[in-house]
Amino acid sequence: MDLMNGRIAALDLSTGEVTETQLDEDIVFADPSCVSRANAIWKEHGEDSLVLGTGLLTGSLVPGACAGIVAGETGLMPVMGNFATELKLSGFDFIALTGTAPAPGYVWVRDGIIEFVKSDAMRQLDSWGRTDRVRDDQGDRRIQVLAAGPWGDSGNPCAQLVNCHWGGEDKAGLGSRLASKNVMAVAVRGMGELMVSDVERHFQTCLELRSSLVSRLGPSKGLASYFDRAGKEDFSSLAHRDVACFGCPHPCRTFLKIAEDPKQMALSHREPGYLHYDVPALRKAFEVGLDARSATEILMMCARRGAEPVAVLERASSGGRQLTPAIVKDLLVAPWDMEPMPAKSYEGGFSIDRAVAIGLCPRLWGKAGFDPSAIGPCVESALGRGVPM
Amino acid sequence: MDALKLEFEPLRCVACGLCETVCSLNRDSVLSSMGSSIILHMEDKANYFGLVLKTAGDGLVLGRPEGHGAPQQPGSGGPGAKPILLREPCDLCGGEPKCAKVCPTGCIKVVD
Repeated sequence: MDLMNGRIAALDLSTGEVTETQLDEDIVFADPSCVSRANAIWKEHGEDSLVLGTGLLTGSLVPGACAGIVAGETGLMPVMGNFATELKLSGFDFIALTGTAPAPGYVWVRDGIIEFVKSDAMRQLDSWGRTDRVRDDQGDRRIQVLAAGPWGDSGNPCAQLVNCHWGGEDKAGLGSRLASKNVMAVAVRGMGELMVSDVERHFQTCLELRSSLVSRLGPSKGLASYFDRAGKEDFSSLAHRDVACFGCPHPCRTFLKIAEDPKQMALSHREPGYLHYDVPALRKAFEVGLDARSATEILMMCARRGAEPVAVLERASSGGRQLTPAIVKDLLVAPWDMEPMPAKSYEGGFSIDRAVAIGLCPRLWGKAGFDPSAIGPCVESALGRGVPM
Repeated sequence: MDALKLEFEPLRCVACGLCETVCSLNRDSVLSSMGSSIILHMEDKANYFGLVLKTAGDGLVLGRPEGHGAPQQPGSGGPGAKPILLREPCDLCGGEPKCAKVCPTGCIKVVD
């Protein structure tokens, strides 16, 4: 099966048992949306399940083919970066997590194997510590980790899942859903491979599409290409390097260094700053009067705690008080009784749209203009046929 | 073709991973990063990343953000050599290196 593994796994966390079902190619070709498939798998396994999935084009050479999806009772989140690509290359297209583990730990997926690894120590760690722990345990720095933090552990509806240290995708409180299963993190490493129908043509068509996108979008300015405020001096003066998700020619991620000189290129400080791509959170931070340095400090703290920063900033600034990182730090220690934020609070974030449904970045394709006819030749070269998009 | 080689401008790299993927695609006709002669080294929390290329004639070519000449400190977590030593050296895709073509930022260049 080109571009797919054809495998859906379900891990019953209460027993550790894994069952597999085949992903039917005809069904995928009739409706390639990973969003509708993830929702269907979620319904099949019950409301308390959590489903991680990849799009049809995830991991292909189509520009921005990095997206995956997580579906749970509280909603959906797209997954960007390298997580979805690694998940697909681990041998599974979708994974359902059901039940509750008897003790804390993490789900570890690689080489067509999915298992629950018990780790009592993880409960004591924040989301960064959990990511680092998994990588140390398994001896691979390129393991991709979706981690809950202490806010998820406490069941806060404004908890977020953190993707390899950074936040920006989970605006649905899925951090709490994962932690409620005693799962502190899901870790994936893709050492498998995906077939394509016509290798040379897939390469050429994707290269042509990439060139067309680049000429239309112009030079990349990192996050400032997507969020004007990131072009201001307080932000740009802290900028270190821009980082792309898998396969993206026009990255939206800019790393700000606040603990050392942004011009420092050698590896020195281990935690020098934060990778910004959470547009709603930054917008909120600037609205409440923070500068880029303070916003970075606060988003970093929120990510560690697994707290969604728009909700944190809304709550912390209530009453019109002047916010500082120290105030937020104090507030983050004790999770509050909070209500989820309304959807409009997250405008400018990652939308669940037609691009995500086939595994493409909604931000890149939102800016470039999602055009199925332009993407079509890349899809046909990979699959040997077209699909509705 | 023997005169061709690849050079890096590491600070242009955005860690998109396409070079690894097309290298494997050219070698093994599959999408993967496991068979590539070029490896993206990434310490994401420190935002430190660069490229390592296994060549036939020049050994390992490092594309470190701090510059080619900078020594790697023991335990620095910099580009590790062990995994890539087990891989096939770059064959320049028969004269038209695909990693240089696919690189969206011009970080990888073919020089004569």
